[in-house]
This record gives sequence, structure tokens and C-alpha cells, in this order.
Amino acid sequence: MALFTSTVYQNEFLARGSTDVNAIVTITCAEAGVAGQTGAGDVGEIIMVDTSASMGRINMDAAKRAAMVAVDTIVDGTWFSIVAGSHQAYLAYPRVSHGAGMVQMNSEHRTKAKQAITLFRADGGTAMGSWLLLARKLFASIPSLVGKHAILLTDGENHNEAPEQLDASIRACIGQFQVDCRGIGVDWQVGEIRKIAQALLGTVDVIPGPAELPQVFHDLIARSMGRGVPDAQLRVWTPQDAQILFVRQVSPEVEDLSRRGTLAAPLTQAYPTGAWGDESRDYHIGIRLPAKAIGTEQLAARVQLAVNTDILTQGLIKARWSADPVLTARISPEVAHYTGQTELASAIQEGLAAKAMGDEPTSTVKLGRAVQLAAETGNTEATDRLRKVVDIVDAVTGTVRLKKNIDKADEMALDTASTRTTRIRG
Amino acid sequence: MNDGPGVLWQPDEVPPETEPVLSRPPTVVSALPSVCPACGGEVGIDGYCTQCGTKVKSQRDHDEQAPASWVGGVCDIGVVHARNEDALAIAATDQPRRAVIVVCDGVTTSDCSDVASLAAVRATTAFLWQSEPQGMGTPESKAAAMRSTVTTAIATANEAVVGATGPESVTGAAATLALAVVTPESIVHANIGDSRVYWLPDEGEAVQWSTDHSMAQMEMDAGISRAEAEASPYAHTITKWLGRDATDLEPALGEHRIDAAGWLLVCSDGLWNYASDPADLAEVFTEAAEGKNGSPLAIATALVDWATDQGGHDNITAACARIEPPEGAVPASPAVVAGAAADDEPTPLDAEDVTMPMMPPAGVTSPLDPTDG
Repeated sequence: MALFTSTVYQNEFLARGSTDVNAIVTITCAEAGVAGQTGAGDVGEIIMVDTSASMGRINMDAAKRAAMVAVDTIVDGTWFSIVAGSHQAYLAYPRVSHGAGMVQMNSEHRTKAKQAITLFRADGGTAMGSWLLLARKLFASIPSLVGKHAILLTDGENHNEAPEQLDASIRACIGQFQVDCRGIGVDWQVGEIRKIAQALLGTVDVIPGPAELPQVFHDLIARSMGRGVPDAQLRVWTPQDAQILFVRQVSPEVEDLSRRGTLAAPLTQAYPTGAWGDESRDYHIGIRLPAKAIGTEQLAARVQLAVNTDILTQGLIKARWSADPVLTARISPEVAHYTGQTELASAIQEGLAAKAMGDEPTSTVKLGRAVQLAAETGNTEATDRLRKVVDIVDAVTGTVRLKKNIDKADEMALDTASTRTTRIRG
Repeated sequence: MNDGPGVLWQPDEVPPETEPVLSRPPTVVSALPSVCPACGGEVGIDGYCTQCGTKVKSQRDHDEQAPASWVGGVCDIGVVHARNEDALAIAATDQPRRAVIVVCDGVTTSDCSDVASLAAVRATTAFLWQSEPQGMGTPESKAAAMRSTVTTAIATANEAVVGATGPESVTGAAATLALAVVTPESIVHANIGDSRVYWLPDEGEAVQWSTDHSMAQMEMDAGISRAEAEASPYAHTITKWLGRDATDLEPALGEHRIDAAGWLLVCSDGLWNYASDPADLAEVFTEAAEGKNGSPLAIATALVDWATDQGGHDNITAACARIEPPEGAVPASPAVVAGAAADDEPTPLDAEDVTMPMMPPAGVTSPLDPTDG
């Protein structure tokens, strides 16, 4: 059984009349075990590969190799299927037209699946919503699954569906499975793919060249196979007179969970967190309380990690009203760090969006602020990525100039990595 | 907690000294109430209400005592400190109006002072409750008997404090003590260290009956003003204390015949720090008593709340007893004639006369320099 622990970082002291409590809660999972082999239930993997005409021979060959590596990485006993996606979604393996749409991995299925992958041809358009809906149905055809994870690879825009169609498909899949999205080349839309990944508790990234694709697929499947806790919820209890201002995952990536809460128990909101391996995640939680008398101490929130109905760890966010300004003026370094990192992610995304609209003044201001925040919070990776898009005149004041000739791939890398944060602790 | 009028407080047994005592046993933890005092919700196992989130204090962190209708007290952890090293024990009956009030303030820099102070107040209260010094009936012999009883009570308290830490403890437990024994006719008070006894008459000037054993008091004795002496960084350095390394257990004590109405207040420095001068404290008391219908527990609660509002930098203990002169008492001027009351005629024995001399200035601080601030 996996071991969860939690640590709360906050300044619990509030000045007279203050109402807002901020805390960073770090939740760590250890001894998660191998997915599908912990007794928690079966797990399933679906590999969705873009087989549209735009893939071309080079990307298509790389994608085939990558899909085969993924098949090799899937642990025996894991339910799996392969989807070939274009303007329609095709079940490439197992080759069945009804009934159970997934099979349990063994040497025979591994060989046959790879044979099926060799038949992929770059042909047709792109309708990712239909790929997602097929994956949803395939997972649903195996009732014993408790963990459901997919990889989605694309190279282009979602030409064959209206945005509303894609949104509807995404909505239908929320809470059904997790999907990590990868884009190859520079013709796909970061915003479009990020929307899928965010809603379906996955990651988004750009793959710079076809040669790197097999390694990326290997790593994604290996990480998924290392997630022995198939599904968990972040639960936040608040007092009856309190208001949850926001619940954000802030590490390893920024993800606003605020609107994803559902009532799990009296006064308790539950937020989906997907599967867990041996890892740590940080959450930034803001709670508003009615101000109380000086000297009052109360609980602002109980933050718990729950698997099914079992609470595996709990951290307490507190509030204490004090007349001592030395106590109340302090800002928790963790809260300050992640507040900066969250703003950094927004500044990068807004700066790039303004640039795409041709609004250079706004873009310059936003990306300048991003440079400043990256420097302040010690996010050197973000600084390096920003450097490829802007010339930094002065990082302290956030003075930058937009570069004239920007490599589109660098800009996309900056965008996809914008939500990735650095940790304040080791 | 409130046992209602006339119910006797029951002291716990003090562990015998022979029992092995860890140098740092866990803080005294008493069970949490199961119902939230703020909203009536259920209290979670984490000590917070499951409905409103209020931190529900253990009885060690917030204790209320009112064994009789005319006496009550509150002992509270305050705001800043992580442990409640103050302790309070009250024994009282309504008929006759008799009470024993003991307050101890554990020295923060010593081990287990929370354990020690609680053991000390319980042992001392139990001892004083069962011994009513009468002497041979003459004022002199009664005063002598009272001294002897109080001296034994202090020794009892000291044994309890010493017993709270084992020999391996580097800084053995230490505590201050202030006590008051109220009978229908008189009040006896004594103290070691800087916990205090105040007399707040309905008419006339408030007085601090106790005499601190502290650097501040020494400076005041030397002619420095209270304000200046108590502002000194060493003001809270006490010159007498209970504990293994106590050098002098001679208390400051006094006895006062009751012939006027007023309030007796026994408190720790967590309260008087914010209003040390008797006149200032009387003002705070008057405000705290407003609208409380003379309920000692309600007034003590208001006093603790007031000290909390001032910052609650230390543990806070306040116990008060409503004093009414017995029927047929001869009003005297000043309102209270200090002295040991004889059976028929008042004896003009000044309280100062029975106050023990202060310890000589030499050796005023121990090597540990205990302060309870």
C-alpha cells in the first residue's frame, strides 16, 4: 500500500480584521508500486497516434517506432489498445469491431500489436475529439479497470472538427481517463492540446524532432506504469462559514483545480488528482474566513488525500488572529514562491497570446514581467526559454525586446513549459 | 469545571517521589471535550470542530473552575505560548463561605514546568483545605498557627514541583505560587515569586496584598517607580521560586479580617503584566465585571479575554472570590483592617507585621536565571 504524507507551509497569523489564509500543502507518495499490480484493480493504456496525411513519411515512421516502444514498455497483464487517428478514429489493435475493445498484454499480443502498427499510413485529416471518444468507449468496455491512461500524439490542428465539437468530446471524457498529449513539429496549436491535457489530468509538451519520439513514448508509459495508485482525490474541508478562494496544483505544474470540486462529504470539496506514483505535488490553497477576535485560533481547512473513501493523509491549514505585526506581516516563503510561479505561467501565456494577435506592446510588457518573475523565483529553465523569444535588457526591472526572428519551435516550447514550476525546496 | 455550588473539588493524587520520572514527560494532556463550545458541533480527532473549525482547547490549556457560587477562576494558555505552564486549583463551599485558591506559574526555562505547576496547585489546595489553623485561640497563637500551616503548604507545593522532574533533568522544574485561604472572617494569603493577590474593595483603594519576589520589586523597594522597575528587562527575573534549586521557601504572607465587601483576585503575571498597578487592575476588573451579575467565573473569563486581547504573551490565570463581611461585623476604617481576627475584639495587627522579610539581595538569581516571563 502506498504511503502518503503531507506538509503544510503557511503563516497562520492574521492581523486584526484579516480574512484570507494562504497555504502550500505538499503531498508526497511513496511505495506506490507498479500500476495494476498492487491489488487495487486493473489498469489500461491506450496509445493514440495521429495518422493524418500531414504526418508525412518521416514523422509517421518515427511515430510507428515510438508506438512499438510504447507497446514494449507496457507491463504484461495491462489492458491496452492502439488507436490510429485521422478525421476518424480507428481501432488498430485489437482488431475487433465489437465487445471488449482492449486486451491484456502478453508476448503474443505484443507481437501482433506491433504488426498492426507497421500498417499505419499517413492519410486523411484530424478530428481529435473522435479519437478521445473512441478511447472513452474502449476503456468503458473493460469494467474491471480502475486506472485508465492514454497517450495522444498529433502533428497538426484539429481541422475536421469545430472547436465546440472538440470541447464537447473533452467534457465527455473528464473523469473517465487521463491523457498525456504530445505534439510533433510546429503546425499544431498549443492552446488546443493544452485544453485536452488540462481537462484530462495530463501533461502537454512539444517534441522537437522525430528522432526523440520513441524515448518520449517510453518515458510516458514507464511513468504511467509506475503509478501504482490508480486514482486519488484531493479533499478540502472548510468551516461552515468559510469560502474556498482557489485550489491550485503548483508543482510540478500549475493547474487550477478551483472549478473542478465536487461535494464529497459535508463541508468537503473533492478535486481529481488522477494516478500517483512515487512523487510529490504541491498545492496552493486560499481560504476566506470571517475575521475573528485577536487570540482566536481556528482551522481554515483540512487538506486530505483520499483513495476511494480512505483518507490517506491530512494536513491542517490554520488561522490565528494576532495583534503582533511581526507575526502577521511575515509571508511564507513557499506561498510567495508559488504565487510568483503562478503569475509567471500566466505572464508567459498572455505574452505569447498577445504576440500571436500582433499586439507587440502588450506582449513586450507581459514577457518582460515573465523574465522578472523567472529571475526572482530562480526559475532558470524559464529564463533560458524566454531568452529564445526576447532579448533581455534588464531582468531585474523586466525590460525586454521581442526578438525579430523567432524559431516557432522555441516559442511553442516556451508556451508548453510555461506551467512547469521550480520548487523552493530540494 | 463547574461542579455547581457546594460541591467539593477533588484533588488528584500526586505521584510519589519514588516513581521514576522522565526528564521530559509529555505535556499534560487532558481529553478534549466532544462538543465544540463555539457552535455545538462535533470535535474532530485533530482537536478542531468539524463544523466551524474552532480550536477546542484541552482542559490543561483552558480550565474553568467554580466550585462555589462566590468563587471562580480561569487558567488559559494565552496566545503566544505553546504550553500552559500556569495552573489553578480552587476548593470552596457556599456554607460556610470557605475557599482555598492556589495559582502556580511554571518557569518556562525549566523542564516539565507545566506538569510541576499542576501538581503543585493540586497538592497545596488539598493540604490547605483539610487544615484550618486555629492555634490556641489568641491572636498571636492563631497567627503562629497560620504561619506554620502556610509554611507546610509551601513545602508541600515545593515537593510536588521537585517531584515533577527526575534527577537527570538539567533544569529541574520550577514555579511561582500565590495562594489565598478565605474563611467567613478572614483571608490569609501567601506567595513565592511574582504571582499575585489583589484586594479590590467596593469602596476605597485597591491594594496589592502580595509582595513579589522579583528584580522589579527589589528596585521598587529601593525607591524606583513601579512603571520604571517593571519596564526593566530583568523585571521578571524572580528571586524566589519553588523547585529543586530553590534557595529560600519563606513566603511573603499576610492575614486580613473581613469587614468590607469587595473582590479578592489571585492571578499570574499573564494578567497583571497588562495592568500591574492596583488602581489600573481595579479599573480593568470593574469593566470585566460589567453585566456579569457578580458571577466570579464570568468575570474571570472576561479578565482572561481582556489579557488575550492585549496580546496574550504569557499564560493567563485569574481567580476571583466575592468577599462579603459576615453579619454583625464592625465596619472599620480603612475598609479592611489587616490583622489576625480574635474571637471578639479586633486586633490591630498590621499586615506588614506578618509579611516575612524579603530574601537578602545576595544570591538573588540562580545560575539558571529563571524568569517566568
